[in-house]
Amino acid sequence: MNKGPAIEARELRKTYLNTRGVFRRQKVEHAALQGVDLSVERGELFGLLGPNGAGKTTMVKIFTTLLLPSSGSAQILGLDAIHNPRAVRKRIGFVFGGERGLYWRLSGLDNLRYFADLYQIPPDLSRRRIAELLDALGLKGREHDKVEGYSRGMKQRLHLARGLLNEPEVLFLDEPTIGLDPVGGRELRALVRRLADEGVTIFLTTHYMLEADAICDRIAVIKKGEVVAEGTPSSIKTVVQDQGVVEFETDGLAAGRIESLRSLEDVSTVIVEERDVAQVVTIHCTSPGDLAAGLGALLDGQQIRKLAVREPTLEDAYVQLIGEST
Amino acid sequence: MRLRFISPFAVLGWLLFPTIFAAVGLFVLNRPGETPDQVAYGVLGGGLVGYWGVAYLDGGFGIQSERWNGTLEQIFAAPTPFWVILAGKSVGSVLWGMLSFVPTLALAFFGFHAVVPHLNGGAFAASFAVLSFSFLCVAFGFAPLFALWRWAVPMINGFELGFYLLCGFMFPVTILPLWAQGFAAALAPTWATTAIYAATTSSGPHYFAYWWAAAIALSLAYLVGAWWLYRLVDRKARISGELALA
Repeated sequence: MNKGPAIEARELRKTYLNTRGVFRRQKVEHAALQGVDLSVERGELFGLLGPNGAGKTTMVKIFTTLLLPSSGSAQILGLDAIHNPRAVRKRIGFVFGGERGLYWRLSGLDNLRYFADLYQIPPDLSRRRIAELLDALGLKGREHDKVEGYSRGMKQRLHLARGLLNEPEVLFLDEPTIGLDPVGGRELRALVRRLADEGVTIFLTTHYMLEADAICDRIAVIKKGEVVAEGTPSSIKTVVQDQGVVEFETDGLAAGRIESLRSLEDVSTVIVEERDVAQVVTIHCTSPGDLAAGLGALLDGQQIRKLAVREPTLEDAYVQLIGEST
Repeated sequence: MRLRFISPFAVLGWLLFPTIFAAVGLFVLNRPGETPDQVAYGVLGGGLVGYWGVAYLDGGFGIQSERWNGTLEQIFAAPTPFWVILAGKSVGSVLWGMLSFVPTLALAFFGFHAVVPHLNGGAFAASFAVLSFSFLCVAFGFAPLFALWRWAVPMINGFELGFYLLCGFMFPVTILPLWAQGFAAALAPTWATTAIYAATTSSGPHYFAYWWAAAIALSLAYLVGAWWLYRLVDRKARISGELALA
């Protein structure tokens, strides 16, 4: 039996061809993945973090045999996901975030029965498996209701039940908690962690840092189609270990002042987030205490509220790696 | 099948549209002085139009609604081959389409007291089976186009109406211009429809074996084309990502 990695990508590239214009149509290439190398061990809960458009979904779609890469290789459980998709499909499950991907006019039970047929699960086994999943995912008692009447959390749990029907050895979850309320998100995370503890390899994409920090064994950060960091959540945090974070709230901070903050020698990132009518400014720097003390002078006349100095989190490391600042 | 059963649009396909076609056909063709052949077109025409519409449109729109549901990728990535899933859907569409004869024949019998002038039961049943096979092959053959190219969907109505006109569902193909008859001859349902109407009249030639052979041969040719298209879907959809909505 093959005991290699559960997921392995080598030099994975994907380029999409888009067209522009109506009369004079132009073909434009867009590189979604630019030579990704990645390896996930069996039984691992692996998180792929990245902003929108970084290539997370493209990577999941290649691993789940929905997309072909432009070049490179992708292996799932030692099987070639590019040339042997059928063998891979039998052994994996996948769940894409959001509410779509279900037959809303059918009941939850009918949805699961239909997909059990498509996964060629024998009727006896499928009946037993569906009952177990409905129970485990808290959908028992509502299985005969049409999916259109389900809450978002229930739909997401039904997605997960569908993804688990064939008892997959590897489960791909593409932003599974997107749009869920905090309680629903926490329940789903606990469930995903439990699956990983039971031995299922899980490949999770998310842009929620807390989610990745809380449940993932290892993380990779992807930016513009390239993996920029890989390791355990604590090792990723070392990117910012010699730094601290200064945060404050203000209004109408001029672009020139933001630039002057960025130009300071020990400042690595300045993020300005609009929150209702206020601006929340987050500064990553090597001497947060000094910066906080001198902030009033630096932003002469600017009102500063809720000034705080804190230790960096995984989110800060992520921001540092992604280099996103506004 | 269950999705079709609960869809209000499906009811339009098998109940409302064929009934309207049948009513118009019966008004025009079931009048004193019309020939028995024409009465047969009035009695069966609406049902055939509805049958074709459901068998063909359900195939195409079925794929599009899977795309809208976000389930097209899910079924594509299931271990069951995509062509098997679409074959099952096409069989379902053909079976569902047969319902069109319920309202149209009821309207003919109870509303217009019209029946087919003659019935060669064996030939009719065989011709109907051949017609069903040809519908299945067209629906199954067209389905991958809708999976592969989103822009194929707007063409769907054009093909549907083209088949109405060319296959002789409501009038004999022989009244079409010669150039149009050439196109009609390339369509498998044309030959099966000719056989169906021949089985309901005692007059005219009855070259059943020839018509059935033509319909079956063309249907098989469509299947060969479909086999190539499904191979293309398997590859091209994975290159372009066209199965997703966006």
